[in-house]
Amino acid sequence: MKNLTQIQWLKYTLTNIPDGFGDMYWKKSGSLKISFVILILFFFGIIAEDRLYGFQFSADYDRNFNIIPYLMKSIILFMAWTVGNWSVCTLLDGVGTIKNIFIYSAYAISPYVMQIYINLILSHILVRDEYIFMQLTEIVGTVWSVILIFSAVKAVHQYTLKKTFTAIILTLVMMLIMFVILILFMLLIQQILIFIAEISTEIIYRSRA
Amino acid sequence: MKKFLVIFLCIIFAVPFKAYSAYNYDYMGNAIPSQAGYDVENVLYFDMDEPQDIFYSSENFYIADTGNNRILVLDSNLENIVKIYDGFVFPDGTETYLNNPEGVYIFGEKIYIADTGNSRVIVSGLDSGIITEIEKPVSEIYDQNKTFLPEKILVDKSGNIYVISGNVTTGCMMFSNQGDFIGFFGANRSRCTAGNIRNHFVSDKKKSRRKRNIPTGITSFDISQDFIYTCTENSGKTSDIIKKLNSAGKNIFSEKNIHFGDYQPEYSNSGYRPPEISDIDISENGNINFIDSATGHIFQYDKNCRLLFIMGRISGQSGGFDKPSAIETVEEKIYVLDSGKNNLTVFSETQFGKKVHNAVELYNSGYYAETLGLWREILKYDSNYTYAYTGLAYAFLRNGEYKNSMKYARFAGDSELYNKAFQEYRRIFLKEHSGKILIIILLISGIIIIKKRGKNN
Repeated sequence: MKNLTQIQWLKYTLTNIPDGFGDMYWKKSGSLKISFVILILFFFGIIAEDRLYGFQFSADYDRNFNIIPYLMKSIILFMAWTVGNWSVCTLLDGVGTIKNIFIYSAYAISPYVMQIYINLILSHILVRDEYIFMQLTEIVGTVWSVILIFSAVKAVHQYTLKKTFTAIILTLVMMLIMFVILILFMLLIQQILIFIAEISTEIIYRSRA
Repeated sequence: MKKFLVIFLCIIFAVPFKAYSAYNYDYMGNAIPSQAGYDVENVLYFDMDEPQDIFYSSENFYIADTGNNRILVLDSNLENIVKIYDGFVFPDGTETYLNNPEGVYIFGEKIYIADTGNSRVIVSGLDSGIITEIEKPVSEIYDQNKTFLPEKILVDKSGNIYVISGNVTTGCMMFSNQGDFIGFFGANRSRCTAGNIRNHFVSDKKKSRRKRNIPTGITSFDISQDFIYTCTENSGKTSDIIKKLNSAGKNIFSEKNIHFGDYQPEYSNSGYRPPEISDIDISENGNINFIDSATGHIFQYDKNCRLLFIMGRISGQSGGFDKPSAIETVEEKIYVLDSGKNNLTVFSETQFGKKVHNAVELYNSGYYAETLGLWREILKYDSNYTYAYTGLAYAFLRNGEYKNSMKYARFAGDSELYNKAFQEYRRIFLKEHSGKILIIILLISGIIIIKKRGKNN
């Protein structure tokens, strides 16, 4: 195998589906920089999907804009996947480090990110009757990414097929648990804040009287 | 600084003071300030006690003066009481008196009265001679335990009488012109709950012990061109709030999935309450007017169910309502009867309202291009008026100005209309520029091929 640049590695992993990630693992390649770029593109893609689509496909409404849902749908979801996968797979004899999981997963979602941008352009060219082409792009991008994620997890932890499957299911469960804990934590913090605020108002009132 | 202050004061005093600010909804259902389409012209006080219904028929107004047990007849200028109906005479000479009449209707020289307190409907000539008296129907489909409480009444072209009875939830009752009970018409649907699924698994005995899932009864109705429009207070199903029923009793609005009434608590003093529509009236030009007794807002929709105006509110001031009970439209005026304040409020069209009505009438008749100037003027009054943008988009689409049509469809938030305009725009664009596009594609593919060849060598 030739020595490939980082960009070429990205292309290689995307196009050689069964063992692209495996090869990358043995070559100890993969760039954190490119992964971050993909993640940021993913984030902007999710926003653009909602805001910059052709008007014939989505009647957007610019009166209020809240960045939190977009953050949740892209970066936080992805980070939860990375952390969840790492925490599950360290227990399941996975050899992947958190950095590698991050890089491999980011590479794996790049077809999905590409699909978002392609559809964004198509949405300004096509009319409603031709929506099927956009659907086709979306399906291809999504399926491609799912397969890549599968092979990425398999490669980064050096798993068998069956074990990869279990690991992914457990990761999803882990993500769910993480979000539940996050919500609980936020509610608790809120309660504590309210409690402190109430006590302080009480003290202020009493000190006046 | 001084200059600024002067300008500021000018702006403040340039805005005319109104009893309340008019508002409207944009395409996403957010309340936005708007121009008033109607203004209070006059508030009239008569000797009334909790009046419940008002009806206009050929130059006379009929008001069901419920608390005083009588029907008032007023002239068309609402200045004088022309006649008072309180007693009627049977063909055999015996007299009878009204008791809390809540509904009145005039059709073909006959007066139809829902005499609620006496549990009967009276059909009489205009000379107080009773023609038919309808009492509790004896029929298999009418539960005899239920008292007959006629509240609102109307008559269709062929003389069939429709009655809303206060305790009947299976629609309005339908009587033939002879007064024979025919059946029920236009029932509301009950709300679908998880209980519906549970009912498949439990025995009939258990089911009979449970609370029954009963739809809400109809509150009021009106007839226009053979269609009966009904409204329902506190409806379980939002699609049943306003219904347009054909002669088979099918709701024509149900497929359109339209939201009637208020969306949000914004611009109301009392906080959000679900709409409690107390009366509905259809104008001669097909506009749907109804009144929400919870907020005192009168809503006017055009015949395609697009919101035109919202006016009125609950308030102690003159022009505000306390318990609005009935609404009636005559030409471009709206009359609202208030059973709390015992008065009659007259709304008349503003300049803005007149322009909108003209434009909407033309628009709904299909004269899109002719409305262009009118919509432009309307936007000068109120640049947030969504309907005007839709109108402009259609007008431009008809005129072949697709770029403009796209622009205004976007302002109106009408994705479907934008799609139509865009399709045409794209067709023309491709026609004009097909040569250039082809050349660009050829150039790019040529460059790619040359590069690949270069690499292989």
